[in-house]
Amino acid sequence: MDKKELKENLKKHIVKYVNILDYKPEQIPDTMPLFGPQGLGLDSIDTLEISVMLQREYGVKLTDPAEARRVLVNIETVAYYIISTKSPVEK
Amino acid sequence: MYITALKTISPQPTYDESFFEGNHIVHSGNKYRVTEPDYTGIINPGLLRRMGKSIRIGIGAGIPLIRNRKDIDAIIIASSEGGQEESIKFLNQILDYNEGPLTPTNFIQSNPNALAGTLALMSQNNCYNITHVHKGNAFECSLTDASLLIEEGKAKTILVGNVEEISDYNFNIEVLAGKYKEKETSSENLLLSGTPGTVCGEGSCMFILEASSKDYFARIGGIEQITFPTEEELHDLVRNMLAKNNLNPTDIDAIILGYNGDSRTDFWYNNLSRRIFPGQPVNTYKNLVGEFPSSIAFAVYLGAWVISGKGSRVTGITLPGKPIRNLLIYNHYYGEQHGLILMST
Repeated sequence: MDKKELKENLKKHIVKYVNILDYKPEQIPDTMPLFGPQGLGLDSIDTLEISVMLQREYGVKLTDPAEARRVLVNIETVAYYIISTKSPVEK
Repeated sequence: MYITALKTISPQPTYDESFFEGNHIVHSGNKYRVTEPDYTGIINPGLLRRMGKSIRIGIGAGIPLIRNRKDIDAIIIASSEGGQEESIKFLNQILDYNEGPLTPTNFIQSNPNALAGTLALMSQNNCYNITHVHKGNAFECSLTDASLLIEEGKAKTILVGNVEEISDYNFNIEVLAGKYKEKETSSENLLLSGTPGTVCGEGSCMFILEASSKDYFARIGGIEQITFPTEEELHDLVRNMLAKNNLNPTDIDAIILGYNGDSRTDFWYNNLSRRIFPGQPVNTYKNLVGEFPSSIAFAVYLGAWVISGKGSRVTGITLPGKPIRNLLIYNHYYGEQHGLILMST
């Protein structure tokens, strides 16, 4: 899966896991913040949902809270994290 | 105890109250699902996306009653099964992901007490908060609890309500247990079907109960419950309940019975009305909303409108042609838990 494909796939999973009603996957820009009123408006419980989703769908574990804050910024950063964790050469 | 405000989300158009202007929905099949309102202005979209159906309809019915009130002394909810759909989703996750990591939302939504907790959080109410889960007597227990709080002077204004939802997973299990009809029926002929089984329903009724009030829908004069009685024990309970309220059977102007069209258990209603209330008009409600453990709350909702004189245009309601002073509700859940609620002007 290339990065573009991964990001599309990631958007679909996020919409499904946190049940986003306002946006369809294709309407979410790659750099739109996941949290806060300027973005998707997700909250701390959604962090858990996304964390479980990353583990189930991509085999990626987010265990360090500081790292989670750096990763769960937007679709771009999450996709970068998945790629870098799974195959460091593709960075 | 006086019902001073009420709100219901049910399989009938009750939320906008057009149900009381003669509007009603004819259901067919075995599932009578609620007509959900637009929650804009009631539930924040961020919260709404995470809510299971039982929480959503419970909040939708409850919040409009309490959001502008600072005098709510208790929140008491009856929910035998809670967010059953979410509960089963959560259990399925355990199997599907081989006991791996689980997402929290389904679990949070699945607890029967999630609704009472969410109502308290959304209205910033930190008073007495409890959920009664006593299967077919859950709502009677909630009313008894409210009545005791008021009698003991611990509360003056209480939110009491119920919530149940249809879970497709659980419905399939209950079909195997023979709870529902095998042949499709319409809500118009459900009670005349003469076959085993009934139909599944859902809904949430919310009431503000006050210790005293001059402007109210109806007064709740008595609540009784009994499990696994004989018919004689049940009839004695009815007579004792009336005697405690200084009433004779002839003082009851109308009765609401929980007929659900199940040929195996509707005899309880036939015999009670024939032996104790032979001349009174009999009204039913499960042909409107289906069967579910705390469904008696809908009968109370209907009774409150009828006693207040505003519910005379409900389709299928038979009134005696004079103002109703006393109304008795009798319901049982699969012949096991039986409940009686006496309502008066």
